[in-house]
Amino acid sequence: MMPTSKSARSTLRTMQFCSVMAVLYIGLIFVLPVNHATMQHYNLSALEYRIATAAIALPTIAVWFAAFWGYAKLREYSQAIAKTAEGPHFAKLGIGCIWLAWSLPLTSIVSSVLNGIGNRWQGFHPSAIIITNYVALIIPLIAFVIIGLAARDMLGKSRLNLDIPTARLTMVLFLAGGLLYCFLVFRSLDLTSLGSTHNSYFLPAWLMIVSVIIPYLYAWCIGLLAAYEIMVFSVNTPGLLYRRALLYLVTGLVAVILSSIALQYINSVVPRNGELLLNYRLLLTLAVRVVSGIGFLTLAIGASRLKKIEEV
Amino acid sequence: MSSRAAHASVYDQVVLITHSYLGPAANRFIARQVTNHLHKAPGDLSPADLLNLTDWIRVAVSLLTEDSNIVEEYIAELQKLALSYEKRKR
Repeated sequence: MMPTSKSARSTLRTMQFCSVMAVLYIGLIFVLPVNHATMQHYNLSALEYRIATAAIALPTIAVWFAAFWGYAKLREYSQAIAKTAEGPHFAKLGIGCIWLAWSLPLTSIVSSVLNGIGNRWQGFHPSAIIITNYVALIIPLIAFVIIGLAARDMLGKSRLNLDIPTARLTMVLFLAGGLLYCFLVFRSLDLTSLGSTHNSYFLPAWLMIVSVIIPYLYAWCIGLLAAYEIMVFSVNTPGLLYRRALLYLVTGLVAVILSSIALQYINSVVPRNGELLLNYRLLLTLAVRVVSGIGFLTLAIGASRLKKIEEV
Repeated sequence: MSSRAAHASVYDQVVLITHSYLGPAANRFIARQVTNHLHKAPGDLSPADLLNLTDWIRVAVSLLTEDSNIVEEYIAELQKLALSYEKRKR
C-alpha cells in the first residue's frame, strides 16, 4: 500500500492546482476586456460588471474545489488498491474523473479568454463561440469514454449481466432526450440552407450534425450506460460494509455524470453567446453545477470510506 | 458449515465469513490483521489464534462502521468458528 503521507501530498498538490486555476480565472475576469453591450444593457460600469461576473463565478469555483477533492480521494483509493484485481478498474475510473474535473476549469478559462478576445475584436467572436463549444464537448467526451471502459471492465470482471428491462428503459429515456435535443437544436439552425452559418453556433447545419450533435449524443449514450453499469456493479458487489462505502462513491459518480450531461445539454440547446446574462439559463447552469459539486463530494466520501477499509 | 468449508484452512474460513461484510477487501483485511497484530504469515494462522484475532477484528471493524449490530453479528460468526475448533479439539 502507498504511504499515507505520499497520497496526502498528492491530494495537496491537486488542491494547489485547483487554487491556481481559481486565481487565474478570477484574475482573467478583472483583466480581460469587458462586453460593452452587456454593460450598457444592465447599466453597469466596467468595475461593477467585473465584480458581478466574479460573484457569479464563486459558486462555480466552489464546485471546482469539490471536483478536484473528489478525484484526489478516488485516486488515493485506487493507489491504495493498485496491486489488487479491482485496482486497474478504479484507476481507470479515477482517470475519467480527472478529465471530468479538469473539464470544469478548462472550459471556463478557455471561454473567458476567447470571449475576452472577442470583446476586443468583434471579428473573433464566432471563432470564440465555436472553439468554446468544441472544448466543452471534447473533454467530457474523453471522460465518458474512459469511465465507460472502466464500468464495462468492472461488470465483466464480476461476470454480471445488465438487467434487460432497465437497460431498455435507460435507452428509451436516452432516445426521448436525444430527439428532444435534436428538435431544440434544429430550431436554431437554418435548415433551408445546410451551408448557412447564420445561427447561434456559427456553424453550417451539416457540420453541426456531424461534429456536434452526433458526438454529443454518443457521449451521453456512453455516459448514461456507464452510470447504469456502475450502479449494477455496486448493487451486486458482495460485502455489506464494502457495498455501503461503494454506494456513496457510485451515487456521487452517477450524479457527476448526469449533471455533466445536463450541463452539456443546456449549453448546446441554449448556445453560449459570450455575454453575462442574468437569466434562467444562468440559474439552471448554477443549479446543475451545485448538483455536480455535491456528486463529487459524495464520491470523495465513498472513496475515503473504501480507503479506510484498506488501512485498518 | 458446508463440508467444503470444513476442509478449508482456518484462514480461508475467516476470509469466507469476512467476505459477507467486506467483499473483495476481505482477504486483504484479514491478511493485514494477522500480519500486523498477530505477527504471523496469513497461512500460519491456527485455531488457537482465532479468539485473539477476533478481538483485533472487532476493534478494526468498529472503526469502519458505527452500526454495532453489524459488528456484533460479524464477531458472533467468528466466535462460532472459534468454538467449533474448540469442540473438535476436545
